[in-house]
Amino acid sequence: MPNISADKTSLRQKGGSLNRTRFVPYLFVAPFVIFFLLVYLYPLIMTVIMSFQKIDGPNHHEFIGVKNYLKLNTRDFQMALQTSGRYAFWDVIVLTIFPLLVACVLHSGLAKGTSFFKSLFFIPSLTSIIVAGIVFRLAFGTLETATVNRVMTALGLQPVKWLSYAGPGNFVLILLTLWRWNGVNIVYYLSGLQSIPADHYEAAQIDGANAFQKFFHVTLPGIRPVLIYVITITVLGGFSMFTESVALWQQNNAGGVGRTIVGYMYMVGFKKNNLGLASAVGLVLLALVVAVNLIQLFLMGFFRKED
Amino acid sequence: MKKLLAVVLTLSLMLCAFGALAEGEPIHLTLWTFQELHTELYKTMLDKWNAEPGKPALDIDFQVFPYEDMHNKLTIALQSGEGAPDLVDIEINMFANYLKGDIGLAPMNEYVEPIADHLVMSRLNNYAKDGKYYGIDHHIGATVMFYNTSILEAAGVDYTAIKTWDDFHEAGKTVLEKTGKPMIVWESADCWSVYPMVNQHGGDWLTPDGQVRMDEPVVINTLAFMKSMLDDGTAIPCPGGWTHTEEYWGWMNGGNCAAVCMPFWYLDRFTNYMPDLAGQMKIAAMPEWSDGGHKSAQMGGTGTAVVASSANADIAKEFLAYACLSFDGCVTTWKICGFDPILKDVYGSEEMKAPNKFFEYYDQDIFSVLSEVLDDIPDTCISEYFPSATDIVKTQMAYRLVELREDPEQIARDCAEELRSLID
Amino acid sequence: MASNKIEGKKRAVLSILATAMMILIAVFAMVPFAFMFMSSLKPGTEIMRYGLTLKFDPSISSFDNYAALNTYRDGVYWHWYKSSAVIMVLQTVIGLVLSSLVGYGLAMYQFKGRNLIFSLVLVVMMVPFEILLLPMYQMMIRVRLMNSYLGVIIPYLVPPFMIFFFRQYCLGIPKELLEAGRIDGSSDFGIFWRIMLPIMIPAFGAMTILSCMNSWNNLLWPMIILQTEKMHTIPIGMGTTITPYGNAYDVLMPGAVMAVVPIVVIYLFAQKTFIAGLTAGSVKG
Repeated sequence: MPNISADKTSLRQKGGSLNRTRFVPYLFVAPFVIFFLLVYLYPLIMTVIMSFQKIDGPNHHEFIGVKNYLKLNTRDFQMALQTSGRYAFWDVIVLTIFPLLVACVLHSGLAKGTSFFKSLFFIPSLTSIIVAGIVFRLAFGTLETATVNRVMTALGLQPVKWLSYAGPGNFVLILLTLWRWNGVNIVYYLSGLQSIPADHYEAAQIDGANAFQKFFHVTLPGIRPVLIYVITITVLGGFSMFTESVALWQQNNAGGVGRTIVGYMYMVGFKKNNLGLASAVGLVLLALVVAVNLIQLFLMGFFRKED
Repeated sequence: MKKLLAVVLTLSLMLCAFGALAEGEPIHLTLWTFQELHTELYKTMLDKWNAEPGKPALDIDFQVFPYEDMHNKLTIALQSGEGAPDLVDIEINMFANYLKGDIGLAPMNEYVEPIADHLVMSRLNNYAKDGKYYGIDHHIGATVMFYNTSILEAAGVDYTAIKTWDDFHEAGKTVLEKTGKPMIVWESADCWSVYPMVNQHGGDWLTPDGQVRMDEPVVINTLAFMKSMLDDGTAIPCPGGWTHTEEYWGWMNGGNCAAVCMPFWYLDRFTNYMPDLAGQMKIAAMPEWSDGGHKSAQMGGTGTAVVASSANADIAKEFLAYACLSFDGCVTTWKICGFDPILKDVYGSEEMKAPNKFFEYYDQDIFSVLSEVLDDIPDTCISEYFPSATDIVKTQMAYRLVELREDPEQIARDCAEELRSLID
Repeated sequence: MASNKIEGKKRAVLSILATAMMILIAVFAMVPFAFMFMSSLKPGTEIMRYGLTLKFDPSISSFDNYAALNTYRDGVYWHWYKSSAVIMVLQTVIGLVLSSLVGYGLAMYQFKGRNLIFSLVLVVMMVPFEILLLPMYQMMIRVRLMNSYLGVIIPYLVPPFMIFFFRQYCLGIPKELLEAGRIDGSSDFGIFWRIMLPIMIPAFGAMTILSCMNSWNNLLWPMIILQTEKMHTIPIGMGTTITPYGNAYDVLMPGAVMAVVPIVVIYLFAQKTFIAGLTAGSVKG
């Protein structure tokens, strides 16, 4: 096989490499294009159509214009927007910066037992979220005798009803997210850090750069593509978070404290069997995530270099 | 290779055909449930069915899914018209969802109507539309009071003397003063406190024709009573938000609260999750309202239904009636699940008196409590917008009352307004 | 000389600080897991009685709960395990192969329609999967993939987030390597296979881990597709143990612990391989 392909290329090279580069890239991206056309296109179109329909059974698809979208003007949905927005904001801040710091420390080789720690940090992301939810629920229980409240009391602080109010509830959510995803983001960053050639650091060293200068002039530019990926994924994950809130509150979101946009979509779609309205919620969420990410990518200079 | 495969296939098909001729191929049914315990009941009844002469042999594939996910799966299957099972357990809060538009479930009237006088029909009305009964429930779910007698004794309170909610409140004050413990918890994250009390008082969220009743005086008065107990500390917000959390079970099991008001089916939560209270817990009727209302309220439930598009819908219906409406089926329901069956004939029968873990735990004649209240349980109105109403009660009404202690009238008005805005 | 000594001292202090920081984070990561593990050794009623504690009481602690996994519902736990493992391996291998090609293609070549395709990748990545359930389900019924592992992995054959990551990663690879390979007379796929793949190993490592994790914890879609109990995955099965009836914590806790262990082993193994591959491969700018 390799011989044949080598022959072909050498033949084509005589004819000019222009010809070759013209169709080769399409071969590389073909899997996605085929996948998109066969698997995703139809459901996507159907979802857009469904968002303008009232759906009651297989033969009851009735067009109702933009009514579904107008129905989103309720207190419940606005609270879901707030909850998701608040969560996404802190999620992006905490989950991009903290793992980056840890990854840099790990990569520097300063700490002992680096690979041991790497695997330890990763274990939480593999744990059953149902069980993790039980652990966090009990630790952050409402009673004064709950684990965390005992610590609070020992530190001379007031016990808190963690999961009963929006602010503390969001704090526990962020903590749970950090617990689960810290290790994953560290792996992303490490793969980026490993791709920075060592001689870039050596060159900076010769120029007399200190640690901070190295970080800002070598490390950050070096991992910029990975950083963009992590932020984009985190924005997406922040706005579409659902599992973590279910793990903590188990569908019972008193006061809507932990009901996110996807939680709301899930509720109208399945608990109220209104798939049309749920589609509308999903498309609003899609628009929101795309918009926030466009702004973020623009600020990161994403469109400057590549296009 | 292909040839070989063809031969093997033909052979196995022939074998199957012979097998069917020889012993009568059983009819294959699929059943979805979210309660593993229910499968125990069905399996027991299936064995009895297959042992009976004259009944066609059945083979049921029981599939247990997590609660939320089973209903999602069913929604998707019924909405697309494909992939649904033959029999399915549907939780009461979800049931109305499947009675909209094209109804994908088969009515059970031919089995329900002949014995209607023997059944607690208000249960089956929850799963009915236009006179057709789509779901068979396993229990009445009559709300009762569970008392921790060792706490009450320490405070010198006799629970049998508590007749009204005002008595209950007074007893609560004594308990709080003598032991420092609250009398009861109110849920802030679910509807199992607010709804039974409102319903017992004579209120509901909706009328059968879809009018909102959430801001009626009876609702406001009930909420005001609940708030008065919160204000003096005789009631506290439920640890963990509702009575199905590990936190609440552990706390209750530790002997920290004198009572809990829950439907009858809660009795096995005690046997399973609060083992240390064995012998201390007693069941009694709900206290009554001095200004009217009823003796109890029917809460929760699971309507088992036959899917209309099933190829074996008729036999599935017959089995469902056999398992859940027959005398034997209802007695088995009590024995296995600890439910209060919907067939009135079983109450007082010898079969229901056989000792089991429930009699051992509570050490009392459980059914005498139940028969006191059976004649006065109001209907609940489970109509199209009931899931929306429940959601508002969970996320707003209970939370604002119990956690934020807001003004009951304001809460009731806001919730009613929100519900009205959701109704087309 | 003197400055070197100070440097050395500074480094020692930094090293202690860094190690201390890592230990703290490790404790944070492991504490909930430790609670899980300790609870998995005790009867389920202990959770009700005392909540979660780290106390080890030899009189009630044993590995009985783990043995009970074998008998729970006729040993169905190991069927769930097998399903989860099969789906995880299929999904990860296929996803890695296909999306690394696409991500590489998007990063290394200029061609007409590139931006359109990349935008599509981003959009598909951002669509909440829940709203696609109904039409996706109808498709699976039509192509007769219900209750099959293939049906479970179809939406994840070419995961957009992987394409995105590989693309980002490959942006950092100097294009000169491609030119150099061509001058050597290699085909473009030959270059990808022989020159680029070794460079992309850290990216493969990260994506393997992430794909395994996504697949292992995935609930909603497998749940919709898989019908029979023995085909179920661990998350579906574990979900059914939490019912108000029966003392399922006995099964839940050891089940959750057992679900983590093999993945950690795979991870440790994969990590070693990837790091070995990394040092062997040429990462010279």
